[in-house]
Amino acid sequence: MATTGNKSINAKLVLLGDVGAGKSSLVLRFVRGQFVEFQESTIGAAFFSQTLAVNDATVKFEIWDTAGQERYHSLAPMYYRGAAAAIIVYDITNQASFERAKKWVQELHSQGNPNMVTALAGNKADLLDARKVTSEEAQTYAQENGLFFLETSAKTASNVNDIFYEIAKRLPRVQPAPNPSGMVLMERPAERTVSASCCS
Amino acid sequence: MLTGGGISAVCMSRLLQFIKAVERQGQDHDRQENHDPAEASHDLSPRGIDQLIVSRHDTSSESDVTRPGNLDGTEGKKRRKDRNGHSTEGTFHLENELHDLSDDADYAASQLHGSVYMTPSDSIKTSASAEPEGAELVYLKDNVTIHLTQFASERISGRLKLIKQGPSLFMNWIPYKGQNSDARLSEKGILLIIENIPSLVLPYIFLLCMAFVADKNLYTIRDASFSDVRSIRRHTPTLGWQYIIIVMSSGLAFPPLYFYSGGVKEFIATVKQHIFLMRSAEDANVFLVNDFESRLQRTLSSLELPRAVSVANLQLESTSVPLGELPSNENQDISHANAADASSSACLYNGRARQKVHDPARDLSIHVLEKFSLVTRFARETTSQLFRESLNNGFVSANERRAHSLSPVDFSDEPVYEAEKVPKESEVFPDPIELEKMTLVWGQPRQAPLCLKEWATYLDSEGRVMDSKAMRKRIFYGGADHLLRKEAWPFLLGYHAYDSTCAEREYLKCIKKTEYETIKVQWQSVSAEQAKRFTKFRERKGLIDKDVVRTDRSFPFYEGDDNVNINCLRDILLTYSFYNFDLGYCQGMSDLLSPILFVMGDEAESFWCFVALMERLGPNFNRDQNGMHSQLFALSKLVELLDGPLHDYFKQNDCLNYFFCFRWLLIQFKREFEYESVMHLWEVLWTHHPSEHLHLYVCVAILKRYRNKIMGEQMDFDTLLKFINGLSGKIELDSILRDAEALCICAGEHGAASIPPGTPPSLPLDDGLLNTQLEDDIL
Ligand SMILES: Nc1nc2c(ncn2[C@@H]2O[C@H](COP(=O)(O)OP(=O)(O)OP(=O)(O)O)[C@@H](O)[C@H]2O)c(=O)[nH]1
Ligand SMILES: [Mg+2]
Repeated sequence: MATTGNKSINAKLVLLGDVGAGKSSLVLRFVRGQFVEFQESTIGAAFFSQTLAVNDATVKFEIWDTAGQERYHSLAPMYYRGAAAAIIVYDITNQASFERAKKWVQELHSQGNPNMVTALAGNKADLLDARKVTSEEAQTYAQENGLFFLETSAKTASNVNDIFYEIAKRLPRVQPAPNPSGMVLMERPAERTVSASCCS
Repeated sequence: MLTGGGISAVCMSRLLQFIKAVERQGQDHDRQENHDPAEASHDLSPRGIDQLIVSRHDTSSESDVTRPGNLDGTEGKKRRKDRNGHSTEGTFHLENELHDLSDDADYAASQLHGSVYMTPSDSIKTSASAEPEGAELVYLKDNVTIHLTQFASERISGRLKLIKQGPSLFMNWIPYKGQNSDARLSEKGILLIIENIPSLVLPYIFLLCMAFVADKNLYTIRDASFSDVRSIRRHTPTLGWQYIIIVMSSGLAFPPLYFYSGGVKEFIATVKQHIFLMRSAEDANVFLVNDFESRLQRTLSSLELPRAVSVANLQLESTSVPLGELPSNENQDISHANAADASSSACLYNGRARQKVHDPARDLSIHVLEKFSLVTRFARETTSQLFRESLNNGFVSANERRAHSLSPVDFSDEPVYEAEKVPKESEVFPDPIELEKMTLVWGQPRQAPLCLKEWATYLDSEGRVMDSKAMRKRIFYGGADHLLRKEAWPFLLGYHAYDSTCAEREYLKCIKKTEYETIKVQWQSVSAEQAKRFTKFRERKGLIDKDVVRTDRSFPFYEGDDNVNINCLRDILLTYSFYNFDLGYCQGMSDLLSPILFVMGDEAESFWCFVALMERLGPNFNRDQNGMHSQLFALSKLVELLDGPLHDYFKQNDCLNYFFCFRWLLIQFKREFEYESVMHLWEVLWTHHPSEHLHLYVCVAILKRYRNKIMGEQMDFDTLLKFINGLSGKIELDSILRDAEALCICAGEHGAASIPPGTPPSLPLDDGLLNTQLEDDIL
């Protein structure tokens, strides 16, 4: 959930996707401007933060980079729960990774925060010769599922900042409406945080 | 007799006085039914110490009276007073009620974070509505025992009962009377320790002694309702006693209950008769008491989670906690945790509450994470608690000053670690065990690596290792010269037997080479056509292909295009995934194999060494995360034991899951050190000296090294994970190893007792498959 205060927004963002799709590479490109040819696999999870200025606000992304292997799937909910945004990454040279991305989309739709801003990233767009997933196919899928889609390359930096920037623009600016009944327990603490920082 | 180390006569007599007093008090206590805790003064004369302990006994003073009818669990409430003698009526769940699982401070803490768990007061209401008259005894088993340590003298036997009350089922386990001394270290035991210990550390010995007098009654299980039970894990080793671990839905677990007279099967069958029980799909030895339906819930349950989600959903509809209540709860929690430091810790806590505590992003995740922190009352009630109490009463500091003045050692030339340069943002609780001092006493200086020439002195004429213990100890203190590694690692890993001769090993090498080739051919002979219809194989191969090309590519051995060693990594991993098809390939394995191949060179030899390593570390990669789970759990227990304030800090900041140490444990610090240091660390760990679980003490040592920074900068879970990941390459190994050794010795049996049986890298305890088949008739 994005929380606002003094025109700055903190937003938890989670990266999901198949092994080797390039999740870590995308974050490292975004956060450090680097690309490592042989980026190590992610064990457990990694956490990064990066701030972006969008027209009306600064958005501080708190980014969780997860491990792609199915075996660690069971840990994923703890990262995407409560996330304001997600980037689901696949590798355009690997059809299976696109199928896996679809599974993530489904899971987020059924389990994640319904207001989550979700982007689909077709990564490794520099490897055009090896392309297996056409951008039309992905674009159609994204439209059908209300995702925002870009093809990216962590290697050439193409569209990397853009995808984060687009997400930042789409994050809801308004505070979640107060919930007098206190019914939605998952959200109540957020309101407390907000009121603590703004009103006291 | 007490010449070593120059212990002063005063200290000695004080210690003896203390031991005697404790023994005496224990006997008194058996006779006394009621003892007013308000009387307990907090001066730390020996008398003061045992009063302190008695005041802890008090709440359970009736636990050896078995009354199946008494199921309301409220009687503790009337008498209970906090440590300053103030009545805390009406704050049940914040007090340390020893009878009820709701006593656990974690449980109370969970109240502050989204109220996902059932509140203890709810559970009291539930059980209070039951009529005592309708109780029926449905199961009784004698000689059910908990093991405080691996030593036979520290076991507590008792009687286990299942009681049916209306639709509910309850469990009681009451220790037998009159075996108090069993749970204590004998006087002789203590003296043995003292003989070897310089006066410098005597204050710490007092603390350790106190830990040993944990009363058996602390472990009593009374009227635990199965409606609060999440799962029962059954362990039925072919050798040794059967035991069960009962995990509550709050995520807490009772200590393992060993059935000396058998009856685990009968126990589970009885439970099944009365409540809904389902065998877990993931692990045939786990019986779920509350099954989940949705996909996410299944996922969570595979993690052996507390039923965070289902309860959360329930509470969404049924409960609304008035916001105003939370702050007061927080304060009460503090006063409960630590009366003496209430004001300062309240500040600390409130400061945090403002920043991060109620981030919704964290709410569920915390509970998901909590599965990694099954916190029992096991250690809570013992050492660390006492550590802290004495600390708060100035015991340590007073004695420390003494220690300083007595000590001939000058600490000034100790390195100043980054960790100590901490902005004074907030109060940091002092370390009860100051490492540098401990390390000087117990962590021996590191030696030069064992070289080939010296190695030869450990072998007899036919190449047998004569004294494997001495050899392992030598490697523990110095590691092995790189040239020796190829020779020594197969022994350390358990691939070669110490008593094998050179000739036997050569022979084995031939046999094993053929055997390796045979397995390798299995996947090599899979044709392209066949692979099309062999998804699992394709997936595995794909995963391995992706991983080997990004394993240690900056290390010269694996550098460059078309590196043959990369292919070799791939072949070994693929072969392993056929050798152990059930486990398959999992990310992290390539990290474990990489140094082995680098050292061994030969493909088949590397394979078998890797197999030996995976015998111990395989559970790290289990689908149900079993091995990781038990290690993270043990780690939390050890930190609690060895650094109470840090443990409290983690607890207050929702970090008790220790998930930030996941990478350390999964791949044995492979990503935390330079390549050479990793090899050094691994061979040290593989000596299993002084503990099979030294790696856990390495974790504690690193955390303690940075404790002031972590607490001073008020790191929350995210920041902590980032910080810990960022420590990679910055940790100085030798000093950490010394610290780890010191901590391991310092924690002693209590450290060992904090580590559940079967925790990796221990060899697996039981053959689950066999037992599943044998006992399949239960469900
Ligand atoms: N050509 C090309 N290669 C890329 C790109 N992004 C990542 N890679 C490579 O793909 C491999 C995997 O990238 P990672 O970023 O580690 O993938 P990941 O999704 O984080 O993988 P896991 O952590 O295992 O889940 C690495 O070798 C990267 O160098 C890209 O945009 N173009
Ligand atoms: Mg990654």
